[in-house]
Amino acid sequence: MGNVVTIGQASDLGEGEMKQVVVAGTKVALANVAGRFYAFGDTCTHLGCSLSEGDLEETTVTCPCHGSRFDVTSGQVLRGPAKKPEPSYRVEVRDGSLWVEV
Amino acid sequence: MTRETFVIVGAGLTGGSAVVCLREEGFGGDLVLIGAESEVPYERPPLSKEYLRGEATFEDALVRPAQFYSDNGIETRLGIRATKVDLEGRAVELEDGNRVPYDKVLIATGGRNRRPPIAGLDLEGVYDLRTVIDADRIRSQVVPGRKVVIAGMGFIGSEVAASLRTLGMEVSVVARSRLPLDRVLGERIARVMESIHREQGVEMVFEDAVESFEGSGRVERVRTRSGRVIACDFVVVALGIEPNTEVAASSAILVENGIVVDEYCRTSVEGVYAAGDVANHYHPVFDRRIRAEHWRHAIDHGQAAARNMLGNQKPYDEVYWFWSDQYNYNLQYAGFATDWDELIVRGSLEQRKFIAFYLKGGRILATVGMNRGKDVHQSMGLIKAGITVDVARLRDEAIQVRDLASG
Repeated sequence: MGNVVTIGQASDLGEGEMKQVVVAGTKVALANVAGRFYAFGDTCTHLGCSLSEGDLEETTVTCPCHGSRFDVTSGQVLRGPAKKPEPSYRVEVRDGSLWVEV
Repeated sequence: MTRETFVIVGAGLTGGSAVVCLREEGFGGDLVLIGAESEVPYERPPLSKEYLRGEATFEDALVRPAQFYSDNGIETRLGIRATKVDLEGRAVELEDGNRVPYDKVLIATGGRNRRPPIAGLDLEGVYDLRTVIDADRIRSQVVPGRKVVIAGMGFIGSEVAASLRTLGMEVSVVARSRLPLDRVLGERIARVMESIHREQGVEMVFEDAVESFEGSGRVERVRTRSGRVIACDFVVVALGIEPNTEVAASSAILVENGIVVDEYCRTSVEGVYAAGDVANHYHPVFDRRIRAEHWRHAIDHGQAAARNMLGNQKPYDEVYWFWSDQYNYNLQYAGFATDWDELIVRGSLEQRKFIAFYLKGGRILATVGMNRGKDVHQSMGLIKAGITVDVARLRDEAIQVRDLASG
């Protein structure tokens, strides 16, 4: 069981948007896909760029630097150059607040 | 039913992607991968950057771990050059005289560095960069404070200059062009690249060329056409590549700036395909033949060839895309433009954070971005769709690049 912490209001992140939050020293990317929230490692496993500054299309995030693609629901690599998956974190919405378990 | 044999000639990124794709798509026949280099397929982008700087291992660059090939019934013939595709005998001839019969063959032999006839090119200490062995050779020479001369300021020259400068070497560049990458990016963007290298302390000699490499046994200085003499500890020649078309020579396979293929990766001969750096392919989006030399293209084109070998008639129409990291700047380019009548910049060239649109007759042919990769990624759909966009909208930061297509 990891740390479960609140990371702000669900209403602060619009549909199709991403942002970085730092949870217990870990950079986490948060994505809102059609009203559902997903959290995953924000640091690209290829060369360390911030994935939340990349492009989000449905459940796919594209790294802003070298085009690696990850599935935001699982952290799996969909396309290189990255070869290693991102960690995936559980997110919950409680009374409009977002909670993430890291 | 007899078992089919597919032979892939060339074990670079294109060949590697093709064999992976063939197995993933369920090809159950025999698969032979022939490569002149001794390594299993690997990606070359790190060789001028992370790997050259010692920040990444060679294993990081492998398309698949070596074990993958035996695990997936892929026979690898590495460290041996294919000399000819024998069309009548339907076999690939190897330099040791052996023959590998095929039902279908993919030529993915890539390219080799151009080595123009320059005096002293064979001196010790004159290197070029294409393979991991080349990269290791350069790496072994890197000592902060030593001096390197780089001939050529295309992408490889620019990246090597940046990497070696980052490692604390003194770097001089000699290039025919007026500015770094001006042929590809145009003058305005090339000026940004020049300012970056200058700021980083790279000495750049443009509109000149190497007359000779000089030294007793080992290179000690470079003499340019204009008479400049630059002392150095070693040299990196980065003057582009030429396609390895020899396997198709003196055969019915059409060769013209590479091996000519259609949008299905088919050569002029039935059962013979070509892809990657070596293939001059018809591209439906740009409606012309193009020979592209990019990492993403090598992967996608290899996969497209594999699928077409399996009978899926799907044209290759991916929009080209590549990146070039130099110092802390991430440059990305999408599309293909050799000439344009307008260049529209969104963002700031001075602050080195921008996306620029190359337009011809209002249509977006290509984009280049610096530290704005998300926008370049979003622009690829616009390029593929071939749409024209109002110039004011292109500049309007309030409109997401993706949304330029509508309205």
